[in-house]
Amino acid sequence: MIDVVFLLLIYFMVATEFKTAEQSFPMDVPLRQHGQTLMLDDEPLVIVVESAGVGEHDLRLRLVGPWDPIASIEALTEFLQTNRADGFGSYGLFTPTHPILIKPTSDTRWDHTLAAYNAVARAKYTNITLDQPS
Amino acid sequence: MANRKLSQISLNANMTPMIDVTFLLIVFFVVVSQIVDRDAIPMDLPAPDHAAAAISVVPDKVVVNIVQLENGEVAGIIVGGHSIAWDAMDTLTEIVKTRLQGGATEVHLRADRATKYAHIHEVIEAIRAVGTTPRLQLVINSEQR
Repeated sequence: MIDVVFLLLIYFMVATEFKTAEQSFPMDVPLRQHGQTLMLDDEPLVIVVESAGVGEHDLRLRLVGPWDPIASIEALTEFLQTNRADGFGSYGLFTPTHPILIKPTSDTRWDHTLAAYNAVARAKYTNITLDQPS
Repeated sequence: MANRKLSQISLNANMTPMIDVTFLLIVFFVVVSQIVDRDAIPMDLPAPDHAAAAISVVPDKVVVNIVQLENGEVAGIIVGGHSIAWDAMDTLTEIVKTRLQGGATEVHLRADRATKYAHIHEVIEAIRAVGTTPRLQLVINSEQR
C-alpha cells in the first residue's frame, strides 16, 4: 500500500499547478448607446497616458487643463493626494468620488495604462474610468 | 532461556508516522490541485508597484483572456473555454451575456502587459454591449517582479 501512496504523492506533486497571486482593479462599465459619449456629473480630470518605451517607467503623463506637467507615476499620485478634498476644512480641489478619466493613446501598453490607474487608486479616488483611445 | 528470547526479537521500523505524513501530503496536493483557476491562461500580467488592487472573492465570474501576439497585437480571445477570433466581438458579447445570465456577477479582464490599449478598449466595448452594466475587474499580478 505504501508504494501506491507514494505513487499518488508523486503524481499530485508533479501535476499540481499553483495559481499565481492575482488581484484586480474594479471598474464599472456603464451603459451607453453606440457612438455616444459617456455623460459624467462633474467635469472629469483627464489623464493622458502614452508609452515611450517598453520599460516599466517609460511612459508620459499629461493632465488636460491648466495643470503643471506630471513627470512620473509617483508625481501623479502625489498631485492627486495633495488636491483631494477630504471633507470640511480641506482645501483640496477634487472629492474622492470626482470622475477621473484615464485616456491612453492607441499604442499605449496595458501595463502603463494600469500603472496610471493604480496611481489614481493609490490616491484614494474611486470613480476611475478608462476612456476610448486618443 | 534468556538468550533464546533475545534471538527471536525481530527489528522492524515503525512506518506509521511516515504513512501519516504521506497521507497528509496527498490530501494537501489533492485539495490544492482542485482550486487552480482553469479559466485563467498563463500570461505576463501587468504588475504595478504598490498596487492598490484587491483580491476578488466572487465565486462565479467570467474570465476574458486576451491572447497576445508579438508587439502588442492580439491573436484572439479565450473566454470560458471558448477561443474566439479577434474580429468576432459579437461572439464575445454573446458568451459574456450568457454567462452573466447564468449567475456570474463579474467580468475579469486579463491581458498581457504589452498589449496595446486600442485592443483592450475594443474588448471593454464588447463587454459594455452586454447591456447589464457588469462590474469589470482589471486583473494584475500582485507579485512584484
